Amino acid sequence: MASRQHRENALLASPLVLFLLLILGFPTVLSLIYGFSETSFETLMQPQFSGLQNFRDVLGDPTFWQAAGFSLRFGLITAVLQCALGLALAVYLAPLVRAHPWTVAILIIPMIVAPAMMGLMYRLVLHEFAGPLPHYLYQWFGWSPSFLGPAHVFKTVVLAETLQWTPFAFLLFLTAYQSIPSELREAASVDGARPLRLFWKIEWPLMLPTVFVALFIRFIDGFRVFDNIYTLVGSGPGGSTTSMSIYIYETFLRRGEIGKAMAAAILLFLTAFLLLALGQWLTRRRRP
Amino acid sequence: MKPRLTLRWIVFAVAVFVMNFPVISTLVTAFKSPGEVSRNPSLWIETPTFENFATVLTTSDRLNIYNYLWNSTVAAGIGAVLPIVVAFPLAWAIVRRGVGRAILFPLVVNLRALPLIIFAIPIYMMFSVAGLLDTRLGLGLILAVVNLPLALMLLVNAVAEIPHEIEEAAHMDGARLPRLLFRIVLPLCRPALITTFIFGFITAWNEFLFGLMLTTSKAVPMTVGASFFFATSGGGVQWGVAAAVMVVAALPPLALGLVMYRRITGSLVAGAVKG
Repeated sequence: MASRQHRENALLASPLVLFLLLILGFPTVLSLIYGFSETSFETLMQPQFSGLQNFRDVLGDPTFWQAAGFSLRFGLITAVLQCALGLALAVYLAPLVRAHPWTVAILIIPMIVAPAMMGLMYRLVLHEFAGPLPHYLYQWFGWSPSFLGPAHVFKTVVLAETLQWTPFAFLLFLTAYQSIPSELREAASVDGARPLRLFWKIEWPLMLPTVFVALFIRFIDGFRVFDNIYTLVGSGPGGSTTSMSIYIYETFLRRGEIGKAMAAAILLFLTAFLLLALGQWLTRRRRP
Repeated sequence: MKPRLTLRWIVFAVAVFVMNFPVISTLVTAFKSPGEVSRNPSLWIETPTFENFATVLTTSDRLNIYNYLWNSTVAAGIGAVLPIVVAFPLAWAIVRRGVGRAILFPLVVNLRALPLIIFAIPIYMMFSVAGLLDTRLGLGLILAVVNLPLALMLLVNAVAEIPHEIEEAAHMDGARLPRLLFRIVLPLCRPALITTFIFGFITAWNEFLFGLMLTTSKAVPMTVGASFFFATSGGGVQWGVAAAVMVVAALPPLALGLVMYRRITGSLVAGAVKG
């Protein structure tokens, strides 16, 4: 009986395990081989073992550190902005959503548009001559910044990312807000608590775990950003919007430095792994 | 005491307008004639026209939008169905027998947080050897990996919600495992299967990085194909045509998403809370 169960269990898990081994396990082995080898697209089949040379190249590349800094700043700033905006919207619009649930569908539209398309759409929106935004800025203020120029491009991509993914934070906070037992609110308002006090004393503490989750998810997503920045400005003026993902992509396909790109990908993997472990350790500590 | 909604409606309208400004601008531009686009960048259309859509839909063989749409449909279809197929048996085993709870489940769920570029390069190498570069199957396979974590989570949630008694009753009746799984558990999971499929299809349709790296001509998906219309060939971007392309490209996921918004929001939240 027990052995039949064992066989059954193995059979039940096998489709997923085989799929993962094939699509991710094999490539992982490849990336380890190529990460420690000297290769080009011409000599793809004959990787020459080169020890830690690729890692030394990556760590000695100022562009790599610039990209790491960009991703870190981008992830942190967008996560904080999205969560602040999303929280404010969720708390303020909750009564409206309760009365008219369909409003949620309208609010989440930006999330259903591909980030790559959003980047392309911003190219139209911000275009000097064809773009509506510069047009109205000129009309109303007689002036429009060069959104994609070196001085403003960081703010522009941060804004584009924030506006697209604020609905995600909004949605998480709305769910958390709606699940606060109404007796708690009623008890507080019977005691004469004003809305602001109600928020800080009752709602905010109850929503705090969700705030951490939302910040973490949005940070991870911002840190690995590729699509919208790539379609909007590529690596940006002077490489100023080169995120980690864009750095690896360009090292690989544009410059054909396979080993170096793999080494950078391995470093990125280790970083992401550490971040995840840290995130999980923190959440586990919070609920004993 | 009923809260006043008027001010909230205004905030709602402003938020929707600002967050969707690119979408609105694109939609407006798609209905402007080429002449009007260069003369009038405002959000007001003087003489609405379907010219751009006609151009897009009768386009030449170099930029064939039907190909992109078909490639995206097939690849996203594979990317949405395959995760369900491989994750469903395991989801049941996780819930009812605790299989893989210690390592396999957290491993798959955490895949979702990793930067996709990490896999893109080794998969590019593997596909170039296996002859899967620039094929819809290859693209679909990797999109399935992208969707796998959420699929497994949603299916685990769904199986966990099935009352134990139903399965026990079936077991008493002498139903063997395959029959139990496919005749009893699977139908009961149907709502979750639909959600997983819709969500996976939208995610796969919207994916860009793998499409960019793993396809070159035959299997180019819609997101990557749309960016081709922005490549300046001589006279600069034809904004009206480019806008029309984006409207067509964004329409399938938007239509699915708006019709199924309850399922979408539910699974987004479920995915975030467990992760």
